[in-house]
Amino acid sequence: MQKIISTLVADVGKVLLGKEHQVKLALACLLSRGHLLIEDLPGMGKTTLAHALAQVLGLSYKRVQFTSDMLPADIVGVSIFERDSGQFRFHEGPVFSQLLLADEINRASPKTQSALLEAMEERQVSVDGETRPLPQPFFVIATQNPLHQSGTFSLPESQLDRFLMRISLGYPTREAERALFQGVDPRQQLRQLRPRVDRAGLAGLQQLVGQVKASDSLLDYLERLVQHTRQSPECPVGLSPRGALALLHAARAWALIHGRGHVLPEDIQAVLPAVAGHRLHSDSGDGAQLVERLLRQVDVIAA
Amino acid sequence: MTYRDLLPRESLLWIFAAQLAVLLPHFARLPLWIVAGWIAAVYWRAEVSRGRRPLPGRAFKLVAVAGVLAGLVLSYRQWFALEPMVALLAVSFTLKNLELVTRRDAFLSLLLAYFVAATLFVFEQGIPHAVYGTLAVLVVTAALAAQPGGPSARPRRALGLASRLLAQSVPLMLLLFLVMPRLGPLWAVPQDSASASTGVSDSMSPGDFARLSQSDEPALRITFDGPVPPPDQRYWRGLVYSDFDGRRWTQGFGVDPREGGRVTWRDSERALPEVGPRYRYQVIQEPTHNRWLFAMARPHSETGGVGETADDRLVRSEPVYSRLAYDVHSWPRDSLPGEPALSEFERRRNLQLPPVGNPRARAWASRLRERGLSPGEISAEILGFFNESFTYTLEPPRLGRDSVDAFLFDTRRGFCEHFAGSYVFMMRAAGVPARVVAGYQGGEWVEGEQYLLVRQYDAHAWAEIWSAGRGWHRIDPTGAVSPERIRDGLQRAAADEFMREALLPVHRIPLLNRLRLQWDMINYRWYRTVISFDSERQQDLLRDLLGEISAPRLALLVGLPAAMALLGIWGWLWLAGRGRPLPPAERLYKRFCRRLARSGIERESGEAPRDFAKRVARERPRLGPMAASITTAYERAAYADDPAAMKQLRRLLRGFWPLVRRG
Repeated sequence: MQKIISTLVADVGKVLLGKEHQVKLALACLLSRGHLLIEDLPGMGKTTLAHALAQVLGLSYKRVQFTSDMLPADIVGVSIFERDSGQFRFHEGPVFSQLLLADEINRASPKTQSALLEAMEERQVSVDGETRPLPQPFFVIATQNPLHQSGTFSLPESQLDRFLMRISLGYPTREAERALFQGVDPRQQLRQLRPRVDRAGLAGLQQLVGQVKASDSLLDYLERLVQHTRQSPECPVGLSPRGALALLHAARAWALIHGRGHVLPEDIQAVLPAVAGHRLHSDSGDGAQLVERLLRQVDVIAA
Repeated sequence: MTYRDLLPRESLLWIFAAQLAVLLPHFARLPLWIVAGWIAAVYWRAEVSRGRRPLPGRAFKLVAVAGVLAGLVLSYRQWFALEPMVALLAVSFTLKNLELVTRRDAFLSLLLAYFVAATLFVFEQGIPHAVYGTLAVLVVTAALAAQPGGPSARPRRALGLASRLLAQSVPLMLLLFLVMPRLGPLWAVPQDSASASTGVSDSMSPGDFARLSQSDEPALRITFDGPVPPPDQRYWRGLVYSDFDGRRWTQGFGVDPREGGRVTWRDSERALPEVGPRYRYQVIQEPTHNRWLFAMARPHSETGGVGETADDRLVRSEPVYSRLAYDVHSWPRDSLPGEPALSEFERRRNLQLPPVGNPRARAWASRLRERGLSPGEISAEILGFFNESFTYTLEPPRLGRDSVDAFLFDTRRGFCEHFAGSYVFMMRAAGVPARVVAGYQGGEWVEGEQYLLVRQYDAHAWAEIWSAGRGWHRIDPTGAVSPERIRDGLQRAAADEFMREALLPVHRIPLLNRLRLQWDMINYRWYRTVISFDSERQQDLLRDLLGEISAPRLALLVGLPAAMALLGIWGWLWLAGRGRPLPPAERLYKRFCRRLARSGIERESGEAPRDFAKRVARERPRLGPMAASITTAYERAAYADDPAAMKQLRRLLRGFWPLVRRG
């Protein structure tokens, strides 16, 4: 089991050099059945990450480039009249895939965004009064440009909450970038990636995540963190119960990725910026600093 | 002024309730127009809160203040007395309602309410009033608690909070009651002496004592230190009437200390025997608004402010406005050496009679005198006459102008004042110096608390005559007619007439009688323990507690309970704030952190155990491996619930002493 996971990480790491932490986060997100939001500048490897994950997990992969004139039908699909059969036939949109890369989701209009987000939550779409289930498993990896870029519609809070994690990749280290210059074209490598796990194996991994032990001491720490966000004057909005649950799931997946059958406080600390960063807002800017302070202020050991 | 500052309606209602609670006991004492003014002000303010009427303008308020001041001046002629001051307080309280706008006004009004509640105790200190005062304070506190409005103004909640607050303040109250210095008043505020006084008055005319017999209010409570006098010796002398104008007996000139009567103050000029029979007792006297006190003949008191008069009474330097306790020693007259001769002035005084009137009595007296009888024989003649054909009754017929004649020869029905008055008249007419003495006779022995309860209906009048050799001695003409009056008290002697006014024959129901005595006992104890706890008793108590009164000991007495209480509260808060106890693994880990902190490496609050272990290894490489293994054991114990790791953690910690440095 552990071998599979480390192979997965290593394989993706070959394509996305020097981003082991983010790769693991993304993997933890997928293993705990959550959707992932990657926020970064263009050209940082967002698409590569999504594509590589799809490859190694053996998932069907589709990519949608969101634009401001996109309509919900462009994602969900549309019924078209076919002259041959003389009736309407539903043409599935890109949402009918196991891993959907929604590129630059914040360029689309809110209407389109919400169509996608609804599909993410319900894991099914309703078209022409007919409910169609989405394939299993169903992951969305959405990317978005930083909000200050022009021509973007920021995702409302309620929709940000649908993403289990939000990560950003950041510039590669010097060594990684040098290796990138010297090595093979990443696209080349991407094509060479082979699935390392089948569908049953992925489902098994996801099930294992739920079995990772979270002791009372750990839940106490989690509780303290959550309470702190709800009571501290620094946080105008505290973590919702869904956010707290997401934190626990992600920490479990993180522990599993690191080969442990129990969750440690470090696991929570590792995933907290990704899980809570987009759920907490502070008046003074980004949630990242808030999470930073949160980690420092809340004691790991009960007082 | 923002909307937040405005008073919600419910807190306004609470303020009115608090005002009513503290003003209610004063209503009986205040002039009616103040009561009406309060109601009007409350009505106006209520109309304002309903939006039907604006708050009064400045001009109106000025007129109201002027009118109220004028009213006070008209109602109370004297300014610097207690009652006008309380009235002023009540009036300002009333007027404040007209500018009750902000929360600040509300707090002002309520703090004033506490003050008004306290003024109740200036007038009354009985148990019912104390209970009422506590209730009033409760209501005022509840009104304060209700000021935020909304849910906190709900009666249950506000009253509950207020009672909790008051209950919590009880220990402090008791402590302050015990140790707070009793300061004398900074200035004496004269109380209104015009208010009706109960009890024996400074004059006696027919009907006075019969009126007193209608009242079962307590007058005196007497505790004895040593022997208790037999019932026929229980004559509590209060006043001596020497002057008769044909109808009224008064003290006359030279007896009343207000008019220059001779009072022997405590540095007694008159030598009293150090030894010999005497009664030692303490009298607790209900307020009479008068200066005379009550004691058995030949009294002497060591209590401050109490003096003796030449006619064997006790008087006080100022009127008895509240319950007063005084200690008395009484020497029975028979045990004292005989008096020297009566001075000429005293003889004239005690032979004084109006020039005309009552011819039949005078004629009989001169007949007795001509027979050459001694004073004792004359007295016996008169008493025998009373005994033959007179009736003791509470409802004597009305007497005409010559009251003595009418009583002696026509109606022959009367009460103690009739017997005493006509007896003295007769004795004087026969040339024997005599005087009427008024006070109380008898009393009810309260077994449970061992004291004698004297009620207003025990008021009595008797006579004293002077004879050479014996001096003044007591003659009770009533005893000649109705000996049971003296032995058993009025209630037995005139049982049928007694309390005819009452709807129920209360005195016939033993249970009720017992209850009444019980209630009096409780009152007595209340007075003995609470009201009479003055600075002297306080000093005594403190001396008992501390041995001697010194600043450090006093500080100890106050500080120790206070420190204990604070410690208790701190401990309670600490226990309550600690929540559930830490799991054992975390306790052990914290011990590990403490030991490391002592050696200079402190874990930061957000630092996870493994990060900390890494830092330890970096900063103190020597401790690194140990820290790492302890951390691993802790992680397994706390987060994987591994019992083996728990044991291991214990074992590892036993050997982990980073401060002990080898070499």
